[in-house]
Amino acid sequence: MIVLQGVGKDYAGRPGIRTAVGQVDLTVARGEFVSIVGPSGCGKSSLLHIIAGFVAPTRGAVSADGKPVDGCLPQALGYIFQKDTLLPWYTVRQNIGLGLGFHGIKGARCAQRVRQLLEMGGLTLAANAYPYQLSGGMRRRVALLMSLAVEPRVLLLDEPFGALDMHTRAHLHGELAALWGRLGQTIVMVTHDLDEAVLLSDRVIVLSGAPSQVLAEEVIDLPRPRDVFGVRETAAFAKHTRKIWSVLGA
Amino acid sequence: MNSQRDLLSTTRFNIRQQRVVRAWQAGLLALGLGLWEGLTRVPWFVAHTVFDPFFISQPSRVAQRLWVWVQPGPDAVWPHLWSTLQATLWGLLAGVGSGFAVGLLLGRSRMLAQVFQPFIVAFNSMPRIAFVPLITMFFGLGMTSKVVTSWFVVFFLVFFNTYKGARSVEREMVDFCRTLGGSKRQILWRVYVPTARSWIFAAVPNAISFALIGVLLAEFVGSTTGMGYLMTTALATLNATDMFTAVTVLSIVGIALVTATAALERRVSRWLPEFRE
Repeated sequence: MIVLQGVGKDYAGRPGIRTAVGQVDLTVARGEFVSIVGPSGCGKSSLLHIIAGFVAPTRGAVSADGKPVDGCLPQALGYIFQKDTLLPWYTVRQNIGLGLGFHGIKGARCAQRVRQLLEMGGLTLAANAYPYQLSGGMRRRVALLMSLAVEPRVLLLDEPFGALDMHTRAHLHGELAALWGRLGQTIVMVTHDLDEAVLLSDRVIVLSGAPSQVLAEEVIDLPRPRDVFGVRETAAFAKHTRKIWSVLGA
Repeated sequence: MNSQRDLLSTTRFNIRQQRVVRAWQAGLLALGLGLWEGLTRVPWFVAHTVFDPFFISQPSRVAQRLWVWVQPGPDAVWPHLWSTLQATLWGLLAGVGSGFAVGLLLGRSRMLAQVFQPFIVAFNSMPRIAFVPLITMFFGLGMTSKVVTSWFVVFFLVFFNTYKGARSVEREMVDFCRTLGGSKRQILWRVYVPTARSWIFAAVPNAISFALIGVLLAEFVGSTTGMGYLMTTALATLNATDMFTAVTVLSIVGIALVTATAALERRVSRWLPEFRE
């Protein structure tokens, strides 16, 4: 369980101080899929950085499973960045094995685990390719598998599909939903794609512009497992998106 | 099938084009050497222009001299070449090694980088060649001065490249590796070192010629063996043929060293698109 209490973040700027995150209270239950949406510049990414422990909040407190996160990394965390974070000097296989190596898992056990992950991501044939040889969608998949290799309980996704074309994005939505259905991680995803948020999440948090606070919370009660292509056609889907749009003032 | 034929014809075209390029290169080289040899044999040119074998020698004389040099005996070039080469390699190794280590250290620590910033700028803008007599005074007329001089000129070159390389590592990549459980040390080896490595390879061809220049300078200033010693001796006896022969030998050495490092780079940088098979 992730708990944010009155979390805020200021940045030193010109002139004076710029408040990115005003005051955010948020609780994410174990195994829940929560998306955070909001206008650009509202500190969505800052919030995710704070949950991950990359930076400390200026105000408030964050805890993961009861332990405070204060600028230090909680255990068993996966984080997918907007940018590509594969190591270009390693092959797909070596990249996926990276985290296992960090934990001292080597040799046959590592190879076995990497093989499973490659199969899970449908990347067996690309195992020996270098990142520059992969498409954008494949690189995203490798990044996800790199994180999953160390079996995180929490996955933080920072606009993970933002740079992809619509077709690839739709496919990855399906894959992420299926993976999550099987592995059951707690997921917090930041996105500016409302459809994506409604499609995948249990709950969508709508933030205001900076200094941001929670404007609304929309519980998405679409049945699971969801057909990521078919569900867009349903009336319930349209109702949720319309409601979130109305809060955002579009 | 069709695409295969296309590929084949493209390859053929490329091979043919490459042959044309090679033919032109060989032709230009032959033309240059031919003019050099021919004009220095025409009395009018010898009397009225720079084409005087006393000053610029002749390819045939250089070839003859080279032939004498490679034979064993009192005129053999090998001890001198070996001395210069040894100093160059040690200087290169020391310069690349220490430049890489210090560059990585300062590139990762903002604090250290800030403290050393003015000193680095000052050192880099100093004419480093001006230190050669001083180094020779310190370390005497031997191998040590040569190695120190070439280390001195190589170090900064490699240091700057490594430093920039380490600074160019993206924060996201480091944070991502932290979430995967990487310790500082593991991230250094898996992320910083490979990034900086590709930056040093960009500097190595220059570093080789710098190292060679450093050794030659030290030999000019004062030494008892080496290619630089041969050249200063040739100057003392006004022997242009010996000088051109020494330059030829050094060029061959330089080309060989640069080719060797290019091959090494291809081996370790297969992940870069420009080195795909």
